Amino acid sequence: MKQIALKSLVAAVAVLPWLSYAATEADVDNAFYPYKSGVPVHPAIKPGMVINKGNVASAKDALDPAMFQHIQDGWLEIAVGPTTSFDPSKNYVEATKKNLGKVKLGAKLGELTGYVAGRPFPEEPDSKDSRAGEKLAWNFKYFFNYGDNGSIGPFYWSFRDLNTGKVERRINFNFSFLNYKHRVTDAPTPDLAPNPSQFYRGIYAKVLEPLDIKDTQLLIHRFEDDSKRDEAYLYLGFQRRVRRLSTSQTSDAFLGTDLMIEDFEGYNGRISDQEWAYKGTANILAPYFNHDQQQLSNEFQESDGYRFLDVTGKGGCFPKATYQLRKSYVLEGKPLEPGHPVSRRVYYIDSQTFTIFRVMIYDKKGDLWKSFTVGKAHADHHLPQNKGSGAPLDDFFSMVDVQAKHCTTGQFKVRIGPKEAPVNLFTTQTMRGTS
Amino acid sequence: MLAITKCRDGGGRVRLMAYGLLVLAGILGSGRSEPVMAKEAKDLSDQRVDIFYENATFHRDHTGLSKFRNTLQMEVDKKLGRIGSFDNLNFHARLRGSWDGAFQMNDDKFGDRAGGAITLEDTSGVFPGGAAHGAGIPLFNSGGVGGPTNPNQGLVVLGSHLHPADGGVTFGVPVRPCNVDSRGCIKDYMDASRSELESPEFNDRLDFIREIDVSGLIPLGGGRNLFIKVGKQQVVWGRTDLFRVLDVINPVDFSRHNIYDELQDIRIPMWIAQAEYRMGASDTFDDLNLQFVWNFDKFRPHNLGQGGSPYQILDAASFFRGMKNCWDNGCTVSNFVPGALIGAPNPAGFAPAIFGPNQIGIRQAHLPSWSLGNTQFGVKLEGQKGGVGFSLNALSYRSQLPSLRGGITSVNPFMGTSAVWPHALAFDIHFPRVNLIGGSLDLQADAIKSVFRVEAALTEGEEFPNTLRPELFSKSKVFRYVVGWDRPTFIPFLNKNRAFLISGQLFGQHLLDYEYSDGPLGPRGIPDWENNHILTLLIKGWYQNDRLSPQVIMAHDVRAEATTIAPSVEWLVTDNLKLTLGANVKVGDGARKFDDNRSAMPYTNPFGIPNPSVSQGLGGFEPIGRFRAGPIGMAQKEDEIQLTLRYKF
Repeated sequence: MKQIALKSLVAAVAVLPWLSYAATEADVDNAFYPYKSGVPVHPAIKPGMVINKGNVASAKDALDPAMFQHIQDGWLEIAVGPTTSFDPSKNYVEATKKNLGKVKLGAKLGELTGYVAGRPFPEEPDSKDSRAGEKLAWNFKYFFNYGDNGSIGPFYWSFRDLNTGKVERRINFNFSFLNYKHRVTDAPTPDLAPNPSQFYRGIYAKVLEPLDIKDTQLLIHRFEDDSKRDEAYLYLGFQRRVRRLSTSQTSDAFLGTDLMIEDFEGYNGRISDQEWAYKGTANILAPYFNHDQQQLSNEFQESDGYRFLDVTGKGGCFPKATYQLRKSYVLEGKPLEPGHPVSRRVYYIDSQTFTIFRVMIYDKKGDLWKSFTVGKAHADHHLPQNKGSGAPLDDFFSMVDVQAKHCTTGQFKVRIGPKEAPVNLFTTQTMRGTS
Repeated sequence: MLAITKCRDGGGRVRLMAYGLLVLAGILGSGRSEPVMAKEAKDLSDQRVDIFYENATFHRDHTGLSKFRNTLQMEVDKKLGRIGSFDNLNFHARLRGSWDGAFQMNDDKFGDRAGGAITLEDTSGVFPGGAAHGAGIPLFNSGGVGGPTNPNQGLVVLGSHLHPADGGVTFGVPVRPCNVDSRGCIKDYMDASRSELESPEFNDRLDFIREIDVSGLIPLGGGRNLFIKVGKQQVVWGRTDLFRVLDVINPVDFSRHNIYDELQDIRIPMWIAQAEYRMGASDTFDDLNLQFVWNFDKFRPHNLGQGGSPYQILDAASFFRGMKNCWDNGCTVSNFVPGALIGAPNPAGFAPAIFGPNQIGIRQAHLPSWSLGNTQFGVKLEGQKGGVGFSLNALSYRSQLPSLRGGITSVNPFMGTSAVWPHALAFDIHFPRVNLIGGSLDLQADAIKSVFRVEAALTEGEEFPNTLRPELFSKSKVFRYVVGWDRPTFIPFLNKNRAFLISGQLFGQHLLDYEYSDGPLGPRGIPDWENNHILTLLIKGWYQNDRLSPQVIMAHDVRAEATTIAPSVEWLVTDNLKLTLGANVKVGDGARKFDDNRSAMPYTNPFGIPNPSVSQGLGGFEPIGRFRAGPIGMAQKEDEIQLTLRYKF
């Protein structure tokens, strides 16, 4: 018993410096402007080149293992673009600086104190810090995602056969997102009030087509308290009724797609649902690009002339976009629930925006199960209303089930701004009234 | 002369107009199978038109084709934008037209050739083998029964598809459409011609306009809004499936597929105005709303079907039609006259009796006319607090179920005199006013990965048959409740990637003013159970990225000991084509017996039997055992295989 207590004490002493590390404004500048002194370089990778199965070996260290394998197997080729800075919202940076040194991890996984707004832990992760992974997870949770309020619509989800490319089903959504707390741009900041249950975020989705699920609506309220499960409500068009949903089964496939609800945006669960481990920092080829400089799709027509990012590669399961070398953190998450179908997930997080752009998902046996890609567009090269928002815009996602040889792709039209997600949209009564 | 009317196709003009509207709508919607692009490029849902065709073909065991319904439906949604005080005004319309071929393709069961000559049971031995409709012990003015105005044609014996007479009372039910045989048709209530049965949307209430409404939000500042919605619409309260506790604002069309169709397809939309004061979040509540609902439409009852049509909840419409024919034209009633009274070979048995017109039966239906006093009003307070969604509801409405009220003037079948005879089987149909208060809540139980839904309502004013009362009905307060449990559950050996939805519900009904007693010959009083429960269970799974979805729905009526099992598989062939193959199988006891009031003596009579005297409790399956058998028990012989195809243009 004494030995165990001594070990715990030694461990606590070792961790203590990292729990109490005080980040500086220089850390903040380095975090948000990593390319001000130069962009990453790689001896075999140059902007304008195409990486294919013939030359992928030379780029292996700039690719995650799954993407390397996809290219080597001839599933896709990727065009390389120049590394560009996705400058963040100045308000988000200021909030980070204002909050410096005030944010602390709690004793338990999933506990955080002192957080107001901005990036909770702007300092570089350190491999000696046993809770560095957890800090990265918090940084991801509170990244400048859709600003304080944003929407997607139309949002085309396509179910594709990886082998044949056949589109088996297509769902067209509208999504809206609202931050109840930790707001930095749109009044009121930092919090909406009143907010008696202390919601952190609201997610609202409505299905426009196909007919069999038309008018289905989903409302999710996420609590500030990470230990609380989300509240979710589903309006089924054919029932004309709002039903409370149990959010305990986050590993369920969402509407038959290849995504679990937990997979949304890279990770959509609680911090306390996974054990986190920081695995290192590397310059990785990531699908970050200027939307207006891509070869866009003509498949969907928008009267304002907007064109969606196109698909490419095997089965049409990958974004037709340029990739760029970006400083990235590698984070591993292991679900803590014993019956969870995933053994671990490996996330690739862009250090500047803290967005997840690649996830490798492994099944219970430890075999690669799914390969997730999120393509990010620069706000200044997108719809006029998004210019200057500083929000990294979701432009494409692809979840490839490498075992079932199936994928789900998502093509976005994102808008940032307060009118995109009024607070009264995030109520069950609105769900009843809007259908 | 047989009382068969000419084809009363008064709805022809309506149909023509409706078809024209559908065609016009189709033209407007042509080329718009995809959502119509928004003018402001803001939102694909700014305007959209969806049109689909559906064929539902059902085959019933021992009956043959029970449904060959072809439906064309168009749904229009348009955002009108900011107009006046409204921040965002929306227009919504849903047009539906259908034609069910079962009435012609299976016309000897449901159409012009349905029914035939019948024989009514005689346990007294006076009429060996039974008495034909028109035969029996004659009573006052009963000579016309079986004659030209009321021939023994186109009839079935009430309940004969479900049970034998078994010593109880039965009578003939005309089963041909009302344009072919008008006997037993109840004006403005159950009097559909064949074309109206085939195409029920094309009627005087313009039901092909299934929904048409305008809604919008008026900002009031401070996060508060006023939501207004006016038009022909469905207003849905409550949180339960299949059975309704709070969801009672719109009447229901049970003639479409009994209790088994989705409620959105069988609620009868009404002209309703609703106003909702949306208060949003406060320091106490996460959300709070106060809703006022004014149903200003002319009253409409549930559509219970029609005698002879394939779907009738409780087989009530057949009962009504037989009773209406008895009133209008007289009828033979099986096993009615005590054998001992007439020196029958079997004095313990009962002989069929022939009643003349205006002696027993249903005289008329009193459908409330439109007046301000006959409109219906409800209020709901709904909100969320601390993870619990809740509502408090109050509604003043007209019962959508009919009440058979005795106490009307009728003819004494023994003496021929007219009076109000206590305990006489002579009724008018009424739809009494009912007041409801209730509430609901839902909450998540993390530890067991479940959601619970609870609903409860107390009504005042509902009326029930009651053989202990001189008017043969009484009012009772009714308490209904439901507890629902939903759990997404992984069953790894069936599907490791997709959870099954398991949803169970327990419905309870308690009659607070229940009257029941054991008479010398059996129980009497209110035939419904004082306390009863119905259990439902849904298990639904998904395969092939949700394009293949098997499910089974089960419902069990505890006191009726009747169960229905409905397995089905839904296959999304493409986003525009869906096939559903299903079955509906019932198991259990089926029909149940109760006091039939035969042993009451309402009339002055030549036999020296004291009058009026209450029923002694002699009973049988008909006519009110159906209230004990319930909707599942009364459909025991309606096992079906069902194939539905839906194609979106």
